[in-house]
Amino acid sequence: MTNSIDEIRDSEMMFVIGSNTTEAHPIIAMEMKRARQRGAKLVVADPRKIWLAEMADLHLQLKPGTDVWLLSAMAHVIIEEDLHDKAFIAKHTTDFESVAQKVKSYSPEAAEEITGVPAEDIRTAARWYASTKAAGIYYTLGITEHTHGTDNVYCLANLVLMTGHLGVRSAGMNPLRGQNNVQGANDAGATPIYYPGYQKVVDPSIREIFESAWGVSLSPNNGINLNEMMKEMARGNLKAVYVMGEDIVISEPNVTKVEVGLNACEFVVCQEIFHNETTRFADVILPGACFAEKDGIFTNSDRRVQRVRKAVDPPGNARPDWEILCDIARASGYDMPDYPSSKEVFAEFASLTPQLRGMSYDRLEANVKGLHWPCPDEDHPGTPTLHLDGPIIGVAPFQAVDYRPSDELPDNDYPLVLSTGRTLYHYNSATQTRRDAGPVAKQRGNFIEIHRRDAKILGIAHGDKVEVSSRRGTIQAEAWVSPRVRFGCIWMPMHFAENRANLLTNDAGDAITGTGEYKVCAVRVRRSKQATEALAEVASG
Amino acid sequence: MSDSFHIKLDGKSVSASSGETVFEVAKREGVEIPTLCHDTRLEPVGACRVCLVEVAGQRRLQPGCAWVVTPDMEIQTQSDRIERHRKVLYNLYKSDHDLDDARLPLETGNGNQLRELCQTVPDMNLAPVEAPRSDRPMDDNPYIQFEPDLCILCARCTRYCDEVEAVNAITLSNRGSATTIATAGQRSLIDTTCELCGGCIDTCPTGALIEKKAPKNLVQLGGTESVRSTCNFCGVGCQLNLHVQNERVVKVTSPEPGETLNDGNLCVKGRFAYDFIHHKDRITEPLIRDANGDLQPATWEEAIAATSAGLNRVREKYGSDALGFISSSRCTGEENYLMQKVARAAFGTNNVHQCAAT
Amino acid sequence: MQKPDAQREKILDLLEHAGGVTEESVRQVSEDTGVPEADIWGTGKFYSLIDTPGKRTRVCDGLSCQLAGADELAASITDSGKACERVSCLGQCDLAIATLTEEMELKTYTKKETSITPDDPELAINLAGPVDLSYSALKKSISMGAEAVIKEIEVSGLQGRGGAGFPAHIKWKALRSQNETERYVICNADEAEPGTFKDRETILRQPHKMLEGLAIAAAMIETSEIYIYIRGEYGNEYDSINRAIEEAQTQLAQFNFTVVRGHGAYICGEETALLESLEGKRGMPRLKPPFPTEAGFRGKPSLIHNVETIACVPSIIHRGGQHFKDLGRTEAGSKLYCISGHIESPGVYELPLGVTLDELVEAAGGYTGTPLAFSPGGASSGFLPISMRALPLDYKNLAEAGSMMGSSGVVVLNDTVDMAQAAGWQLEFFERESCGQCAPCRIGSRYLRRQNDAYLKLGDPIAFEHADDVAWEMEEGSICGLGMVAAKPLDSARKHFPDHFKTK
Repeated sequence: MTNSIDEIRDSEMMFVIGSNTTEAHPIIAMEMKRARQRGAKLVVADPRKIWLAEMADLHLQLKPGTDVWLLSAMAHVIIEEDLHDKAFIAKHTTDFESVAQKVKSYSPEAAEEITGVPAEDIRTAARWYASTKAAGIYYTLGITEHTHGTDNVYCLANLVLMTGHLGVRSAGMNPLRGQNNVQGANDAGATPIYYPGYQKVVDPSIREIFESAWGVSLSPNNGINLNEMMKEMARGNLKAVYVMGEDIVISEPNVTKVEVGLNACEFVVCQEIFHNETTRFADVILPGACFAEKDGIFTNSDRRVQRVRKAVDPPGNARPDWEILCDIARASGYDMPDYPSSKEVFAEFASLTPQLRGMSYDRLEANVKGLHWPCPDEDHPGTPTLHLDGPIIGVAPFQAVDYRPSDELPDNDYPLVLSTGRTLYHYNSATQTRRDAGPVAKQRGNFIEIHRRDAKILGIAHGDKVEVSSRRGTIQAEAWVSPRVRFGCIWMPMHFAENRANLLTNDAGDAITGTGEYKVCAVRVRRSKQATEALAEVASG
Repeated sequence: MSDSFHIKLDGKSVSASSGETVFEVAKREGVEIPTLCHDTRLEPVGACRVCLVEVAGQRRLQPGCAWVVTPDMEIQTQSDRIERHRKVLYNLYKSDHDLDDARLPLETGNGNQLRELCQTVPDMNLAPVEAPRSDRPMDDNPYIQFEPDLCILCARCTRYCDEVEAVNAITLSNRGSATTIATAGQRSLIDTTCELCGGCIDTCPTGALIEKKAPKNLVQLGGTESVRSTCNFCGVGCQLNLHVQNERVVKVTSPEPGETLNDGNLCVKGRFAYDFIHHKDRITEPLIRDANGDLQPATWEEAIAATSAGLNRVREKYGSDALGFISSSRCTGEENYLMQKVARAAFGTNNVHQCAAT
Repeated sequence: MQKPDAQREKILDLLEHAGGVTEESVRQVSEDTGVPEADIWGTGKFYSLIDTPGKRTRVCDGLSCQLAGADELAASITDSGKACERVSCLGQCDLAIATLTEEMELKTYTKKETSITPDDPELAINLAGPVDLSYSALKKSISMGAEAVIKEIEVSGLQGRGGAGFPAHIKWKALRSQNETERYVICNADEAEPGTFKDRETILRQPHKMLEGLAIAAAMIETSEIYIYIRGEYGNEYDSINRAIEEAQTQLAQFNFTVVRGHGAYICGEETALLESLEGKRGMPRLKPPFPTEAGFRGKPSLIHNVETIACVPSIIHRGGQHFKDLGRTEAGSKLYCISGHIESPGVYELPLGVTLDELVEAAGGYTGTPLAFSPGGASSGFLPISMRALPLDYKNLAEAGSMMGSSGVVVLNDTVDMAQAAGWQLEFFERESCGQCAPCRIGSRYLRRQNDAYLKLGDPIAFEHADDVAWEMEEGSICGLGMVAAKPLDSARKHFPDHFKTK
């Protein structure tokens, strides 16, 4: 997030796209509710009529995967109606002309054809966004989990830049992170192309710093990302994996392929707190500690570093994960320092990470609201709002983008579009939440949301058990006939191990990030074969 | 935007800004005005009447939580009139409340601020009014329990449910002395729009809303040791207080409103989904798969050695880039740092990643 | 939090249409309006006409009906095997005993007819006078302009006749000074103060005076939006208003009238509770400030007047403020006094403001039996001893006597009445009608009623040991006027009739 969560309540307008905030980020949603209560306008773009959409001044219920069209049409309107911020563009950006040219062909009327969103609504949203000062964009995986996820993000960035909504309080460009420490994991360099602090592994001068700090020579080559690892595993090129705290057999797209890969591995080690789908493949299982049993930091969506503190001991012989990692390194011949506690690990991590250099446990102790990076030195108060003095990188380039359809579109055999996501009550593979009575009482098992017309065509009643299939697999679910989804689209949560949504999803990844296309794949739903054919007929006719 | 001016608070000149309430000014000045129905996250309603003060020029006592100050306003927070008001008001509350043997409002595991207030005034020994206030005996939700005889109808819970959580699952129902907190049709919260965030429990000043899972006598046992931490679910980064009793996390609450980014709020997962911590299914010892494919318990020395050997075997056979290290956005920053350091420094590969996109 | 397109203002009517609050009706109304189910449930449960489905006879337990033997009537209905519910004053004190049948139609148990003051063109309202459909006062006021009209209102000394006695012109001026141009005129026809039925007669006999007054007000504050909130028990009166609007549709073409029925809650006569109710919420009074003149209906400036107040306006415009003022004796204007109880001819009498009880009773044919006490302005005014019969019945004198003018619903009690019993009836009324929002009123009214019950049962005045403290706190600590006066009946009865509260 370019801006902090605390700023949301003072928004004048919120453009929420591809984020079911009330379910995935409930407390950020509370701030959005507060802003709305205080009179802020709310525009929600989502294929589903999610809770926020019900509360919105405008709901743009686009077809899944057509974000580039919608956002380009908004840019089209802003430029056409001369609502763009020429001074900001001139001072802080480059390549505006390329985008201005590109979006000329993306008229709202044409966008209406593709996205299903009325042209007038697109115009209204664009006008509101461009003419409101404290207007923030909020997005989540509905934007990124596409083969054109990066393009979607570029389109959003183009909107932010052309309206000068960067470096403005309660505005900005705000991806909401899905997990407690996505930001922190990336900051820490758990990524194949960056050392801690987004410092490139292929940059020799950077590599030198780390080689000297760690006392070894380091690989000069970029590593492969998770999506690629899964594929290389299946191809037999990746022979061993060390999986810490992730149930890849549930969370990766097209998990059948992941299972093939894990079976092909010569060695699999899992570091976990519960047995899960992935530990079935493990040669060694190392019992780790949950968040209540160890010290450390989590970095949240708004780049805020906050302390995690040990409240109880890990059960039995389980140990904090950081200690285990140190032992593995030492046993493998690397001279890992003997850190007395996580505090010293953080000190080393921060010293090598320019954005965190001014942070320490002592400072985090003193700042109960946490510290936002960048925090380059000990006297720096942290940076809740980025780019206040113009883009950090100097000038920000516009990125002209062409629309590309999703990798797998519905056809006669698989006539429905499946999107997957999270619910309020469960979390990821639900190993934690399914062990608590409330989430289970609210959502016992897997379900799909389906439009009443699709349900009628398929002869499916609310509560029926159905079979959902894609080219990659078949699972069971309960059908919830729901006013939330579009005709021709179904939605399914990702949480349930016995009926894994990711047996269905497409592992085609975004060219740049490798993120899988969790939001669009073609499926069929049936109680009987005839019903499926009937639907295919309607869809094609 | 806000003009600054002076008002007189208990005879003392203090500065205030336009839009501020008497309560806010007094709090800043260290003058304590008691209240039960006020919560900074909610629109003031002045319903509990505890915070009434004297405003010069006003015939009636006025609620400090809602009364907006203007230049030169004179406020009295202490007087014989206010003292009498508090005495009778607190005693009226007592006549409508479950009392203990000491004739003080009963205290649940969730505390009771009315009890504290009642200790500041003499007991009038008013006869109980036995208000016909209904509860929800059939409510089988696993987390939230409502005790109508401890409820003072300040409506913090219903207002929270409306204004903050915005799910409108509970409501004030009925009228007069029969007023109660209800769901539509008095259904179980599970069968309503309730999202089990538990904010109602958190905001309840009298412990009429109780967390079913937490020990009932948490307060009486002298409370718990509480450890401030960060929630381990989504990316918001809510701050939590983990309450520990006998080496177990027995309750999770949010720090006070205003202190942290979550402003006193939590969701169902953050507040209630902590059973996993002490769940019997936790893996408690290292396991190594034997020749038959069965997992066998092992010592840490054995497990570390086996891990190291397994990884090094592959590395020697196929090279460093045949290894993949999958870190976790659920683990701490330090652990992610160490995981990539292990991959890079100990095993020589940049093949390290985590579920960055999910 | 409400959805932007939710239609909350409709929910109470829809619930009533569906036969009252049930799980099913609430679900349906929620689907139809987009209002959360719980909000509909909680709101519906506030109103006694819809809170519990099912047919029953509703028997009034207002003071005059009680004096006329309502308890026996209710017992006989129950004995006949039919469902019977006791309800608060139905505004038919002159026709006691009043009931609402299972079909929600009014049925009274008296052979008498209501008496009213004979036609006298001098009077401001002149209930018996001819109906004037010319709307010439409206035309005149438009040609006079707002400032001149408000000046006349000021000269007239017109005070709010719903009970508060607030000078009318100040509200009009306040409305005109608002920047917000979305404004409302609201007529409070939620007449429910026990002993009061003057608005009923005004609506039935002179509805056009009310409509014309409202139209003048709307024209002067530059709005066309007029709401009339009438209590749900007033069926004939609701019809009368609608008929009158129909009759005068040409004259009133530039105004939008919306007539809204209440659903059974005395407190909705309190102006901010009325606003809440109009907005489809529980009728719980708001904190003031802000006053409705700044933030009223839908948060917009609203001019709220009682039926009688607004019905005086055409006369003031026609004949000038001074003429109206001179109609009064100790205070301005002629006044509709309701009188019932132990007198010969109950009814509504328009007399100079400030007449004495004796003069009023004389107009009403005299006392029956030996008078003991009177309640000068509804239940809220408590009781005064008959020794105060020479006191001018006006705002100032009654307030000084520790009572109030209120809605001028006068009830006379003769010496057959046990004042502790009479106080008990009134306490029961306030306990039932308390909205429940604030503790002094919610708990205090129940406490006092139970203590009085205990006294009536045991005859031991120890029951009143803390009554003064509680009464004091109710007056000091309550949010709205209901709580402030709810202890009055007991308080005044104990003060003026100590013999009725001795050890028995």
